[in-house]
Amino acid sequence: MLALKKGSALKVRYLMKFKKGSDIKFVAHLDIMRAIQRTFKRAQLPVDYSNGFNPHMKLSIAQPLSVGMYSIGEYLDIDFKEEVNNEDIINKFNSSSTENLELLQVVPIKEPYDKDGKKIPQSMAAVDNASYQIRIKYEDTNSLEAELLNLLKDSEWNIIKKTKNGEKETNIKPLIKEFKFEIQDKFLCIEALVSCGSRENLSADLLSKYIKTHTHNIDEIAFTEIKRIEIYGIRGNKLLPLCEYFKIFA
Amino acid sequence: MKKITDDILYRVEKPARYVGGEINSVKKNKNEVDIRFAFCFPDVYEVGMSHLGMKILYHVLNKREDTYCERAFAPWPDMEKLMRENEIQLYTLETKDSLSEFDFVAFTLQYEMSYTNILNMLNMAGIEVRASKRSEEDPIILCGGPCAYNPEPLHDIADIFSLGEGEEHLNDVLDLYKKYQGKSKSEFLRAAAKIEGTYVPSLYDVVYNEDGTIKEFKPKFEDVPKKVKKRIITDFNEVDYPDKIIVPYNEIVHDRIMLETFRGCTRGCRFCQAGMVYRPVREKKTEKLIQIADEIIKNTGYEELSLTSLSICDYSDIQNLVFSLVDKYKDKNIGVSLPSLRIDSFSVDLIKEIQKVRKTGLTFAPEAGSQRMRDVINKGVTEQNLMDSAGSAFKAGWSTIKLYFMIGLPYETIDDVKEIAYLSRKVIDEYYKIPKPERKSGLKVTASTSIFVPKPFTPFQWAPMDKMPSVREKIGELRKVMDRKITYNWHETPVSYLEAVFARGDRRVCDVLVRAFEKGAKLDGWSEYFSYDTWMEAMKECNVDGDFYAYRERSYEETLPWDFIDIGINKEFLMSENENAKVAAVTPDCRLGCKNCGANVSFKEGKCFEGALFNEI
Repeated sequence: MLALKKGSALKVRYLMKFKKGSDIKFVAHLDIMRAIQRTFKRAQLPVDYSNGFNPHMKLSIAQPLSVGMYSIGEYLDIDFKEEVNNEDIINKFNSSSTENLELLQVVPIKEPYDKDGKKIPQSMAAVDNASYQIRIKYEDTNSLEAELLNLLKDSEWNIIKKTKNGEKETNIKPLIKEFKFEIQDKFLCIEALVSCGSRENLSADLLSKYIKTHTHNIDEIAFTEIKRIEIYGIRGNKLLPLCEYFKIFA
Repeated sequence: MKKITDDILYRVEKPARYVGGEINSVKKNKNEVDIRFAFCFPDVYEVGMSHLGMKILYHVLNKREDTYCERAFAPWPDMEKLMRENEIQLYTLETKDSLSEFDFVAFTLQYEMSYTNILNMLNMAGIEVRASKRSEEDPIILCGGPCAYNPEPLHDIADIFSLGEGEEHLNDVLDLYKKYQGKSKSEFLRAAAKIEGTYVPSLYDVVYNEDGTIKEFKPKFEDVPKKVKKRIITDFNEVDYPDKIIVPYNEIVHDRIMLETFRGCTRGCRFCQAGMVYRPVREKKTEKLIQIADEIIKNTGYEELSLTSLSICDYSDIQNLVFSLVDKYKDKNIGVSLPSLRIDSFSVDLIKEIQKVRKTGLTFAPEAGSQRMRDVINKGVTEQNLMDSAGSAFKAGWSTIKLYFMIGLPYETIDDVKEIAYLSRKVIDEYYKIPKPERKSGLKVTASTSIFVPKPFTPFQWAPMDKMPSVREKIGELRKVMDRKITYNWHETPVSYLEAVFARGDRRVCDVLVRAFEKGAKLDGWSEYFSYDTWMEAMKECNVDGDFYAYRERSYEETLPWDFIDIGINKEFLMSENENAKVAAVTPDCRLGCKNCGANVSFKEGKCFEGALFNEI
């Protein structure tokens, strides 16, 4: 017999895809979290709170984005006390926000378990890859294409990586799944798919740092623009954007 | 004009301070308004954005269709350096336009040690700091806020001062400005001087006596008023209050909704400028406050609401207000908080209700250690009050109590100061009187002392500041007798001396300010940037003796630099209060009978206790 806790039958978990706009790229992760929470409050959506002395929203972000980066492919998990129509959630949230923080897609996850009886993981556990667009400014790009083509021939891209246990030299090449580039005037525009999440992770910052230290005529003080495009999970051999990955549980 | 870019922002600390775009920030087309108004706070974003006055005036000014009010703050030195290197002028967060492109550049004066930031901000926008050197094309520099009650140290910085509550005054000034478009700045200033609450320093002359005191302060022209009367809002219940306050992305100092319950205070503490200049007491009604709270909560998503005023427990309907708010929002996870507490058991009962769950520390401000000193400053609190409150708090489950005192009060002796230690010790004894199972473990009592600075428009405006060596000695003696169980925090800093010079300074300290700024003084409120030597050199070079302003006792006959301002309170009342202080005579709360300070007769419609519940005052 199913034993349901009082009230729990109505609760719904959602996976939501959102955008962090370019104008708020310098807002840090925890501040973005707080801004999202306040937007849910303004939107008067029925978010569920933890119990205890200091109740907080049951909300988590799939993969934190560094200060300075913006994104059109962020994800969060959130619990609602009751189900709300997907369109209504998006409309209410977006009309309570600015164009810099918008919900793009909502996936309700109605059942806590999949068909094999396994608990459906939080989205952060499903993260495997992420794609980025990186724009690096140069003073002169005449020899850049040749430099990059040479660089791509190297089997190892070794760079000092800061970890919890200090610094260590790491080969980041195996963490790069796809790498395309194009030179537009003074800019090197990279599109890259890299490892992301708790198993293997390459920050787009570190990747751009490697490129910058191994190419010449870089504009030393210019800001490097990094935009996250999508976060993926892997099912079978297939790369699926997180919202697709979780749709089968909807 | 060069604008800010990401190439600069990514290299500074906390870049989110400098970008704007927060929820509820106002967007208007700058080409469709008549008046561009830059509201500047002379400190960093996190401090300025916590200021209630700015939220109110931003809302009031932007309600005008003809005006776009934008915000600017003092940049941190890392940002300033890059801006100067890249020739980017100080800009507003809304349009990123330089302050120099505005019709009005307004500063709020919250503390004296922010004055150099005003000069620096003007300089960073390419605006000449001295009013006398500015041209027709430059913006009009307007200053207001509590420190404007002695405007003279900024007499050659500001073109106009706004005295008193700004909601209506600024509208009057802007209406006039529109009428005068096409006319000269001096014509506008001359006309503005006739609006009640306006002080235009360039329209007045000051003559000094040989001893350096003021001989005469007089208008240059017959049509310029001799006295400038502060403005007050008479119908405080109905005055405009922001319903859409800006919610910053990064954490600011007071990151919550502030609900202003009333203005003014009836306690009559003799050291307190706010208690005098904000009279008469005017309240908003509970229903109105709940209605405002509801709107702001909907529009901000804030999780905390704080009631603000001077002496919050004096609100005539406080219990009903607090209980109604707590009850209304407890299921929505919105907390209610009170900022400052008086020492009485009623306050403790009230806060017990609010803090049923989380018991953060409680702060009490006896202000002085001995009963004699508390009578001198008219604090109206007894040792028994403190013991009852502390005992009641310990019984209710608190174990952290902070006590706040001042050192260097007028007529204070070393024995009075030592009493701070004895009083703090008695608070500890109160804790141990409670049987062990009934009290929470982990007792922590903190005593903090700050240095008293005499302020204009208080009964102590004639009193000398306690000399710094004397203060240092008192702190030393106090440390010797302070119980080791008590954490004692003190700061003895020459900042207090400079604060004293500027608090009661006249026009001549304006030169010191400009000189100190030229020598690199800025962010004086931040200990890592304050340089005492810079200020001392500046005074020397300007031939100004700081002691004349800080340490000198004034006679009642002397013309004080701020005497031309009418705050609605008689000078005779302040004198009699100073005489009462000398003999440690207590003057009871106005609620127990009018003390004829003048506030109720100075303002035609400004009744004391406007809007209050009458059985409760």
